[in-house]
Amino acid sequence: MINEILIIIGEVLIAIGAICDLIAAIGMNRFPNFFVRLHALTVGAIGGAFVPLIGVTLLSLGAEFLGVYRFFMAGASIVSAILLLFLAPVGSHAIARAAHRSKAAIVYPKVIDRLEEDRERGVIT
Amino acid sequence: MGNTLQVVIIISLTLMVIGLAMVLAMGGFGFTVPPSSVRSLATIFLNTTFNLDTKYRYVSAMSPEAVTAIVWDYRGLDTLFETSVMFIAIVGALAISRGASEKLLKGFSKTRGGMSLIVKTITRIIIVMIASVGLSITLHGHLTPGGGFQGGATIAVAPMLLIITFSIYLFSKMITVSKAVTLRSIGLIGIALSAFIVLIIAILHGDLAYIFQNQPKLYSHYGLPSYAEVMVLGGTLLLFNTFETLAVAFGFTALFILFILPEEVVKDIIKGEE
Repeated sequence: MINEILIIIGEVLIAIGAICDLIAAIGMNRFPNFFVRLHALTVGAIGGAFVPLIGVTLLSLGAEFLGVYRFFMAGASIVSAILLLFLAPVGSHAIARAAHRSKAAIVYPKVIDRLEEDRERGVIT
Repeated sequence: MGNTLQVVIIISLTLMVIGLAMVLAMGGFGFTVPPSSVRSLATIFLNTTFNLDTKYRYVSAMSPEAVTAIVWDYRGLDTLFETSVMFIAIVGALAISRGASEKLLKGFSKTRGGMSLIVKTITRIIIVMIASVGLSITLHGHLTPGGGFQGGATIAVAPMLLIITFSIYLFSKMITVSKAVTLRSIGLIGIALSAFIVLIIAILHGDLAYIFQNQPKLYSHYGLPSYAEVMVLGGTLLLFNTFETLAVAFGFTALFILFILPEEVVKDIIKGEE
């Protein structure tokens, strides 16, 4: 009983991950400038990689027929999931900061850019 | 070229690759890949890498991981020269930019640069994980896939991350090029000593042994222990892997420091004075 619940929850999480990946791919193609595209990329990293890895963890814990190996699979996936949770936001942050500082990416269709205003006034460097 | 033509080309290439793979796997050309004669060679290696049977006892390398056994036991001399090839490459890089890092980094007394606080905090967490993964690859090198070079290359990612996030000026307070090269040389001396260790033990007992000998052979009954209680030690393989990790990790660290120096400054220093 508990195994079936775990398997169903895992499959639902993997399906959510697939949908998030699709949304991220559409966003990468359709969004207007670099920073908004980076936002779509993060949807792909967290929603499309972290969530399905948690799903794989639950799924493999529930899969009785795998024997002892299901604990290896569960451990490997949860460690990868936690690493992704740490690393993906930091990577996007570093890329965004470098692009904004070096003015390599122009914020063209913009509503407001407080960071640039602060940089012009000399509050932050 | 239209989009339709590109799609047709992609689909036909994919179909050709799949078809060729199917035909080769089924033996359609009159032979199978891999040919069956290779499999007897594999049988020999599997019989002699880890075998407690008395018939194979004197040819066994006593390591369950066949690749590490072949690399450090069957053809140890070959691997030693492979390591020295990389050492010679590092010597070349050091000779070209000799003194550059010391002269450049001496001018900057205060630490500066580096990425933002978020990146620095996460890097502090991540380098511990990278180092432990590299060490586990190394120390399990005679049990699971992996070994000295792979573990060392994994550990070398940690100094690269440190250089990028904390800037070269802060990193050079911890490790300079000369310190890294010294540690690398200690690793190479360790590899050389591990090659002779069974011979040294045999000479202390008033007998002779082979160079690069690991387990007892038919004409020389000396060897490093392959078991400690229930743990498989693999004799000299563990020593070789450990020292190779030290050598590779700090060799790469020295190279990374040299690569990251700003080009125009280094050019001035290399050019010297007229």
